[in-house]
Amino acid sequence: MNFFEVIRVVAWKDLLCEVRSRETISSMFFFALIVILVFSFSFSMDQQAAHELIAGILWVAFAFTGIIGLGKSFSAELQNDCLEYLQICPAPKGAIYLGKVAANLLFIVTAEVILFPMFVIFFNLDVVEDLPLLLLIFFLATLGLSTVGTLFSAMTVHIRAREVMLPILLLPLAVPVMIAAVEATRGALNGNPLALYRHWIDLLVVFDVVFTVVSFWLVDLILDS
Amino acid sequence: MLNAIIRKLQLYKGWIGAAGGLCLGVGLYFGLVASPPDYYQGEVVRIMYVHVPLAHTSLLGYTVLFLGSCWYLWTRDPVVDNLCHAAAGLSTFFTAVALITGSIWAKPTWNTWWTWDARLVSFAVLFLILVGYLMLRTFIDDPEREARYAAVLAIVGFVDLPIVHFSVEWWRTLHQPLSISMRGVSISREILTPLVLMGIGFSLLFAYMLIVRTQLLYLSSLLRAKKGRLLSQVHLAKVQP
Repeated sequence: MNFFEVIRVVAWKDLLCEVRSRETISSMFFFALIVILVFSFSFSMDQQAAHELIAGILWVAFAFTGIIGLGKSFSAELQNDCLEYLQICPAPKGAIYLGKVAANLLFIVTAEVILFPMFVIFFNLDVVEDLPLLLLIFFLATLGLSTVGTLFSAMTVHIRAREVMLPILLLPLAVPVMIAAVEATRGALNGNPLALYRHWIDLLVVFDVVFTVVSFWLVDLILDS
Repeated sequence: MLNAIIRKLQLYKGWIGAAGGLCLGVGLYFGLVASPPDYYQGEVVRIMYVHVPLAHTSLLGYTVLFLGSCWYLWTRDPVVDNLCHAAAGLSTFFTAVALITGSIWAKPTWNTWWTWDARLVSFAVLFLILVGYLMLRTFIDDPEREARYAAVLAIVGFVDLPIVHFSVEWWRTLHQPLSISMRGVSISREILTPLVLMGIGFSLLFAYMLIVRTQLLYLSSLLRAKKGRLLSQVHLAKVQP
């Protein structure tokens, strides 16, 4: 199998597991619903306040849901020693990693796309005009979370207290992603001109490129037992 | 090679510590007594002579951690890993003290203990990354795996820090611009002298603490490896010059 085929097979395997078990996306979805509920208790919002706060709330919910998905990505492989076989299989580790990133990206973006209408309904948002742009922002920011998150998921799967360590390691490193995602989402939701928040999208692209390369290069050291 | 350098440095650690102490002493004298109070901030400005060098030293510590991690991945020498562990612990300490002194300085000048300013957020993120690094190390049982994962985390964090800095810089900034930058020095000699002295002093202090701590971690790893058996004279002779 060549490099890209490995990526496809690993991603396809995860997708198939998910389609059959529906564990990750459903747990992410209901967790995020609870987050929405808690936020609606915490703030009493009118239309104006909702527009100011919604981007932050959205990304808090997305980040924590994402962490649930990312944690499961490798801990699910512990059953039947699948992780061992992944590590000893004669495929480039980088390709296995990229396959996992692709699967995680797909799961989290799917969850986000399902969740976003919920936010629109529960927080009485206006119908958004820039939907493709918003999707692009979701995609780029989730890619940033997935690249670092998948690396740390592979790292924390071997250690004690992994459910705690994944967010502790991931969230400080993901600060640029969170800031850029919130600012860009707020700009897009409020219908501001693109020039005002264009640099945040550029930052997301830079983060994605840098950490895809760095993680791809370092993952050999993690997935090597 | 680095292993040999570390062993060599231990011979001179007393001198390094003494030189650091001397710089700090003279620097404190110039800073607290000889230099004039600031035109706007008055006597409050004197905390700068501790705060700014501490902040620089914590960045120095992270740089040492990054270089040491690269070196560890290259050579897989356990002593280099001990050096990284020591650098991370010290850098965490220096970052925490820099944050605390900064907070004390911010209260009279900005009239707030904490504000979401770019450099404060960068340093808080640096602190969190370092704490995460130290926590990760405690949660792994196998020493080799611990060293490898920690090195990877240190490298990823080092790559992340400039991006964090730029993102929060764009987000908001309140800090006074750097006084010593590529464009030259914008402060007077009376203030610069103690500042530079304190900077050198803290760096030397860091070097001294780093050597001692590396030695300590190396010895405790030896003890762990030899658990249940007597420490052999060979290992003790290797460590103690």
